[in-house]
Amino acid sequence: MKPFREQNYYELLEILPDASPLEIRRAYKRVFELYQDESIVSYSFFSKEEREEILSLLEKAYLALIDLESRAQYDRRLIELGLMDRDGQYSNKMKEPIPIYDFKKVHFDVFEPAGRLEELKERVSQNEIIQRILAQDTLTGADLHKIRTELDIPLEEIADSTKVQIGMLRAIEEDNLKIFPPAVYLKGFLKSYARYLQIDESVVVNGFIKRIGEGK
Amino acid sequence: MPNIWSIGGGKGGSGKSFITGNLGILLAKGGYKTLLVDLDLGAANLHTIIGLPLPEKSISDFLNKKVGTLQETVEPTPVPNLYLISGAMNDLDIANLAHEQKLKIIRNIPKLPYDYILLDLGAGTSFNTIDFFMISALGIFVTTPEPTSIENIYRLIRSVYFRKIRQVLSSHNFRTLAEEAQERDARATVSNPDILLYIMKELDPEKGEILENELRTFNFKLALNQLRKQDNPNIGALICKIIQRHLALKMHFLGNISFDERVHNAVCKKIPFLDLYPYTQTTLDLRTCHKNLLTIDEAEPILQNVVD
Repeated sequence: MKPFREQNYYELLEILPDASPLEIRRAYKRVFELYQDESIVSYSFFSKEEREEILSLLEKAYLALIDLESRAQYDRRLIELGLMDRDGQYSNKMKEPIPIYDFKKVHFDVFEPAGRLEELKERVSQNEIIQRILAQDTLTGADLHKIRTELDIPLEEIADSTKVQIGMLRAIEEDNLKIFPPAVYLKGFLKSYARYLQIDESVVVNGFIKRIGEGK
Repeated sequence: MPNIWSIGGGKGGSGKSFITGNLGILLAKGGYKTLLVDLDLGAANLHTIIGLPLPEKSISDFLNKKVGTLQETVEPTPVPNLYLISGAMNDLDIANLAHEQKLKIIRNIPKLPYDYILLDLGAGTSFNTIDFFMISALGIFVTTPEPTSIENIYRLIRSVYFRKIRQVLSSHNFRTLAEEAQERDARATVSNPDILLYIMKELDPEKGEILENELRTFNFKLALNQLRKQDNPNIGALICKIIQRHLALKMHFLGNISFDERVHNAVCKKIPFLDLYPYTQTTLDLRTCHKNLLTIDEAEPILQNVVD
């Protein structure tokens, strides 16, 4: 081990180079208590001069490390001398406080695998049955159900992702007119449904609404 | 070759004989053939601690050539597996041992056929004490959490260290190297062995390493005796830390031994404390020390959190 006087500030305070300011404060308090005049442990170990030298060294180390700017300077010197690893430096790993009004909230679907949409689009365009259905003038709930089963997507998945109640989706597929919401909401649900299956939104909405109008 | 532990502590009354006796009993009960040697010549009373009536033989029988070998002065004790070489019925001038006689003891102790030999040393840092201490590189220091006792511990450790460096310096003709080191840095004296060692290594890496290796053979332990409730329980660990840090010596903390009024009763009744009070904190502490002694752990002492 290096003699005390040859140790660097981190070794003097017995901390790692990435210690946080709080740890530095605690370490200083600890060593100070060990080496101060009234310490029962060290009082007879050192002469007055030795103790003063050690205490001033420790104070110098503490003051240099507790100030972030002087600490960065000291770290640079250690890195230049090859005594410290660049990666071992202190960086503030604490989380910053989260602002209450966070307008830039990013929404992302964790369960959505990358490339799902492209793949689905491809399947829709390749599938003749779906293309035939979409080419019709009007669309029934059964037609939508047919498209969905062709694509092999469970209704629960759509409900989960679009946040449209599953009962409502089922009503659409079963043409259960009695529990349909007002047209403006229905259009929204149909849009979400179509978007999730990657089929043309306007075709679905127009075809469906048109058929309901005919039925009345 | 037996495991020899020297047990010393600078100050009288810190409990060296108490700890030697009780550790000896624990080792013997653990199945090791254990010998206690009372080297506190002139003030020997280890036999009382382990509950042996006044012994008939003593170490001076060997020195006076009344018996031929040191082995013949060994006495069995009431504890199975535990043996004692007493210093009790010595001649009255035994404390001032002649150099020849001292060497005779030092040469003969390692030849005794036991698993563990514990040497109970006297207080102070006289030549005799230090020479006996250095029979073995394994040493147990006993201190109480009082400044007076701690001060004497440092003195004893430095004396042992000093003696060792002097021994190595003269046997390897290192004296010139030491002088050279002192010229370079005035602080590099034997009282600052860490600096001395560091500078000597810089001056002559090869010889510095020999000295370092010699000093590394030392393996010291510290037991903190008579810890009262109001004392800081970390004192022992901190003493070890200071010594490791500033003297570059191996020093491990065995543990705190709680203060107990009843030790006095046990000594007065001439019954080992462990037997008279088996269910006390102090007995528990002694067992912990015994365990730590056998499993020589190199780990850093763990500091307990003290609520101020």
